[in-house]
Amino acid sequence: MISNYLVLSAALFAVGAFGVLARRNLLIMLMSVELMLNGVNVALLAFARHWGSAGGQHGQVFVIMVMGVAAAEVAVGLAILIAVFRNKKTVDTGDLGSMKG
Amino acid sequence: MGIDPVFALAAAVSVVSGLMTVTRRNPVYSAVWMLACFIALAVVYLRLDAPFLAAMHVLVYTGAILVLFLFVIMLLNLKPEEFPPEPSLPAKGVCALLCLGLFGLLAVPMWFAAVELQGGTIDAKGPAFGGVEYVGEALFGPYALPFELMSVLIMVAIFGGVVLARRKAA
Repeated sequence: MISNYLVLSAALFAVGAFGVLARRNLLIMLMSVELMLNGVNVALLAFARHWGSAGGQHGQVFVIMVMGVAAAEVAVGLAILIAVFRNKKTVDTGDLGSMKG
Repeated sequence: MGIDPVFALAAAVSVVSGLMTVTRRNPVYSAVWMLACFIALAVVYLRLDAPFLAAMHVLVYTGAILVLFLFVIMLLNLKPEEFPPEPSLPAKGVCALLCLGLFGLLAVPMWFAAVELQGGTIDAKGPAFGGVEYVGEALFGPYALPFELMSVLIMVAIFGGVVLARRKAA
């Protein structure tokens, strides 16, 4: 049964990766990163459930850690997005090349 | 090996709404599709016998992260003509191929590794798996220090968010 969950996790990760690669809207790129983190969470929980009493707690603690990091990441990411929009009036990654060498 | 129908439905909903999230042009539609994706994932967590994590998932992702996204979308107030131009179709195709390759690279080895796992161990979970007590014992026992460090991380994120998004004093 664990295989099905791992394939779902890989699918979510790939969908998120597509969003990060193929979109130019910063907001949607951040949402795609959230999808990738969720894919990882599904895999962690599936393994925790598989190993059951031997390691079930550890996997679930990892999922909680990922959730906490995701919350922190999205707060800082959206703050950066607001700062960028305030200065440049755009959310297009193609317009944000001012640090290009 | 039979597939649990509830899991199959939830997985299909989450992947399809994930795809809709990353392909919508308007970020508001993306956010609403992401809501569907997160709810379906909560169902997946419930099928994995983790009600505590399912509740935390709904609280954190739909309750905090999604609301934050919607707030920012509202703050920016982008008009449709201000949406960034999309990459050309060939560029998107290359990205799609890359991601399909990534999916294969992740899914195929995991599928076979998991088949071996299934032969190696019993699928026992114990009666308390997924409850608040079960997770909390680990969180406040061996993982107490990482747990406290995470609160420091979130506090830093709060300060960072305020400092970054604050209007510059003229």
